[in-house]
Amino acid sequence: MTDPVILLENVRKSFAMPGGERADVLDVPGFVLARGEQAALEGTSGSGKSTLLHVISGIMRPDAGRVVVAGTDITRLDEGRRDRLRADTLGLVFQQFNLLPGFTAVENVLVAMSFATGKPDRARATALLEAVGLGHRLHHKPAELSIGQQQRVAVARALANRPLAILADEPTASIDAAHQQQVVDLLRNTCTEHGVALLVVTHDPDVARQFPRRLRLEDFNRAGRS
Amino acid sequence: MTLFGIAWRNIRQRLLTSGLTALSLALGVALVVATLVIGGVVRDAFASGSGLGYNLIVGAKGSPLQLVLNSVYLVSKPIENISWDFYQEFLPADTRSDGTAGRFAGSVATAVPICMGDYYRSFRVVGTNTAYFDRLSLGDGRSFSFAGGRNFRAQEFFGGVLGSTVAATLGLSVGDRFAPTHGADDGLEHDPFIVTGILARTDTPVDRGVYVNMEGFYLQEGHARPVVAGESAAASEMPAPDQAGGSGTASHPDPLPFAQREVTAILVETASPAGMPAELLAMGLKTTINEGQAGQAAEPVREIRTLLDLFVRPLELLLLLLTTLVVIVSAIGILVSMVGSSLERSRDVAVMRALGARRSHVLTTVLLEAVLLAVGGGLAGWLLGHGIVAAIGPLITTNAGVSAGFFSAAPLGELLLVPFLVVLAVLAALLPALAAYRTDVAKWL
Repeated sequence: MTDPVILLENVRKSFAMPGGERADVLDVPGFVLARGEQAALEGTSGSGKSTLLHVISGIMRPDAGRVVVAGTDITRLDEGRRDRLRADTLGLVFQQFNLLPGFTAVENVLVAMSFATGKPDRARATALLEAVGLGHRLHHKPAELSIGQQQRVAVARALANRPLAILADEPTASIDAAHQQQVVDLLRNTCTEHGVALLVVTHDPDVARQFPRRLRLEDFNRAGRS
Repeated sequence: MTLFGIAWRNIRQRLLTSGLTALSLALGVALVVATLVIGGVVRDAFASGSGLGYNLIVGAKGSPLQLVLNSVYLVSKPIENISWDFYQEFLPADTRSDGTAGRFAGSVATAVPICMGDYYRSFRVVGTNTAYFDRLSLGDGRSFSFAGGRNFRAQEFFGGVLGSTVAATLGLSVGDRFAPTHGADDGLEHDPFIVTGILARTDTPVDRGVYVNMEGFYLQEGHARPVVAGESAAASEMPAPDQAGGSGTASHPDPLPFAQREVTAILVETASPAGMPAELLAMGLKTTINEGQAGQAAEPVREIRTLLDLFVRPLELLLLLLTTLVVIVSAIGILVSMVGSSLERSRDVAVMRALGARRSHVLTTVLLEAVLLAVGGGLAGWLLGHGIVAAIGPLITTNAGVSAGFFSAAPLGELLLVPFLVVLAVLAALLPALAAYRTDVAKWL
C-alpha cells in the first residue's frame, strides 16, 4: 500500500446537546485513504459523514485521536496552520457547491489560490476551467451558470492548489439524475488525471457503487452503538 | 486575488446596500466639508475686513463691536453720530477752517469720515470724502484700484463709487444714476448720484458698499443736524470754496454748514513717528479718546478677534459637531449595513475559511470593505461638499464680500477628515468583522 494521504487513529468527536449531555458522533478506531485512491463513503443521514469530513479537513478539531493529513498530525496544529495545510493539500467540494456568488467562475478558482500560495495563477485557473469544459464561461457569475456548470467550477476550484486529496460532501445530492452521472464522472476522471485521491460522501448507492472502494460509515464508526 | 480585491468584490456583490451606505456617508462628509470651508471663508472675510489700512475706528459711545461691524463690514445699525467738531480734532491745521491742528492730529496719519444710514437696493450707502480711496489702502498695502472710471472728486457733490459686488449685482456702470433711500430700502428717495467709478474686486466688505461724496450726502433730506438755539453763528460757518466747491446753484448747491454736520464714524490710520510703533500710538490714542465723553475708539482687529472667539468659532464648532455627528450616524450605517448582510456573509466566510482563508483574512476583508466604503463615500462627499460651496459661492460673495468656489479649501480640517473617516469606519466595522472572525465554519457549510 502506498503512503496514506489521510490517516485517522482513534478519533472521537462529540457534541453538547441542549440538555447539557454530550452525544458521541464519531468514534473511529482507524481509517486510511491512500494516494490516488478513490473511495465512496456511505452512511445514513445524521450518521456523522459530514462531521468526519470536517475533522479530516481540520475545520473541526476532534476530542481525541490523531488525524494525519499528508504526513502531518493536524490535531497538533493551531487553527491557522490547519487552515494553511487544508488550503495546500485538500480540495473541498460541497453539496450546495458553495461558490462565492459575487465572484466569476475564474475568480472563484483564484480566491482558493489566494488563500494557499498568496499568488493566484490566472493561467492555471483558466486551464482548470477549460479542462472541465468551462473555457467559455470564465467570467460568468454562479447565478449565470447552470447547476452542472456550477459543480464543474467547484471541482476546478478544489483542484486549484494541486491538492493530494479531494473531499466531496454529497456532491450529487442536490442535482437531478442526468447531471449526477456527469458530476461523478467529472470528479473521478479529473482526480485520475491529476493523481489526486478522492473521498466522496454519499447516501446514494448508485453513486457509491461506481467507486473501487466502498465504505459504510456505520461499519467503522463505533459511536452510537450500544 | 488580493484581500483588497475580495473586499471590493463583496462591496459590488451588495451594490445597492453598499451604494446607499456610501451615499449616506458622502452626505455627512459633504456637510462637514462645506462647514469647514465656509467657516474658513467667513473667518477670512472678517480677517480681510479687519485690516483695511486703518487701525482705529472712532464713533459714538456704545458697543465697540457694533461700531466695527457697521463701519467695516457694513452690517448692523450705526450706534449714533459724533459731532463735526470732534471729527475736526483729528485733522491737521491745513484742512481745518480755523487753521489750527486738531487735538489728536499729531497721532493721526489719515482720518476719513463716514456717514451712514442710507441704502441703495439693499446695499449700504456710505457718505465719505475722496480720501477713502485716495489715502486709505487695502490691508496688504495695495491701493484701491478702479475696474472702470475713477474716484469722485471733492467738487462732484453727487458723484459716487460702487463696490464690485454692487456693480455686478445691480448691473450699474460708470455714468449711471442711482438714488439712495433714507434709512431703509423703502425709505424716502434722495437725489440721484452719478457713478464716477467702479472699484476693482477687493474680496473685502468694500465690494458691497455704495460710496458717495459726503457733501452730496449731507444735502439730502433728514441728513442735516437741526440747529438749536444759540448755534446760529456757528451754523452759518461754511466750508471754504476750495474745500467743498459749491456755487449756490441747483446744479452746484452750497455745502451744508459745518454746525449742521455730523459723522457716523472716523476711520483712523495712526501716524508712525520715527522710533515709535503705530500700534503703540494707536493704543495711546484709543485710551485718550475712550477716557473722554465725545466718542469711543475701537481697534477692528481686536474686536473681530473677540467676535471670532466669542461667537464665530463656537458657532463653527457647534456646526462642526453637528455635522460630525451626521458622519458618525452615517458610519453607524456601515455597521447596520454589514450586520444586515451578516447572514449572507456568514456562508461566504465559511466557504472562504473552508478554502483555507485564516480568521485574520476574514477579519481584514470585512474591515477593508468598511474602509473602501468610507474612502469612496468620503471622496464623493468631499467633491459634493466643494460642489455645495461652489453652488452657494455667489451668495457668500454677495453677503460676505469674499470669493468662495469649488477650490476654496480648509486644508487642515479636510486632511484630518480622511484618517478620521477611516478610523470611524474601522470602528463601525469591528463588530461585524469580529462576527465574521468567529463564524462557525461547519455550521454554515
